[in-house]
Amino acid sequence: MDSQKVDMFIMSNGKFFESHQVMQIRERLIELDDSKWGIIQTMQFKDPTVSIIVSLLAGTLGIDRFIIGDTGLGIGKLLTCGGLGVWAIIDWFLIMGATREKNYEKLQQVL
Amino acid sequence: MIITKSFVYEPGEHEAEKASNSYLMSLIALIAGLPLPIVNLFATLFFYIGNRKGSFFVRWHCTQALLSQLSMLIMNSFGFWWTISIIFTEETLSNRFIAYIITVFLFNLTEFIATIYTAINTRKGLHVEWWFYGNLTNLICKD
Repeated sequence: MDSQKVDMFIMSNGKFFESHQVMQIRERLIELDDSKWGIIQTMQFKDPTVSIIVSLLAGTLGIDRFIIGDTGLGIGKLLTCGGLGVWAIIDWFLIMGATREKNYEKLQQVL
Repeated sequence: MIITKSFVYEPGEHEAEKASNSYLMSLIALIAGLPLPIVNLFATLFFYIGNRKGSFFVRWHCTQALLSQLSMLIMNSFGFWWTISIIFTEETLSNRFIAYIITVFLFNLTEFIATIYTAINTRKGLHVEWWFYGNLTNLICKD
């Protein structure tokens, strides 16, 4: 793929991925066929900032886990009242990384 | 006692943040879980489990945090149940108990300061190894 297109994608979507994954993503995108550009350009990613806000406000109900697509963990968190509060605290620190990992997994399905 | 070493690779911004969080979280869980001494261990353990597929730098620091919390658990649980037995049973206050509580207090204080120092430095991307725990982590955590 054209490196200019790839750089444009990285510039607008870089914040959705882990910093150490960005270079890897860039290399993979450059090697990718041009026909997949349409799919990649229209992909929607979850914002880590939104998930941390939801986690702070409704973490004990597991809403943050539902949002990023971990339904099983979300139900577990909901039924245990956020793991009696402990899990909710852990997730304040984990959720941003987890969101970025999910975005990376989503992109990898196309790559 | 705390040595800053160079890591096998230069950790990225988000890696440093996660590694630093592993220490920070044990502190917050400790405050939330008082007086029970096990909550911070659970918190570090779950954080470790959540990051077990993470990069080497993150896993290394999660393991070090977990090991330090493990030794805290043993010392604090003993002190906790000893105190409970003095309050609720015929066990009386002795010099031994006071000496033990002072030791536990000093140990916790050292650990607390070390954890804060490490959290600050890991956030900057520096690789901080503790005395004993660092070597132990090197044996457990492989690339």
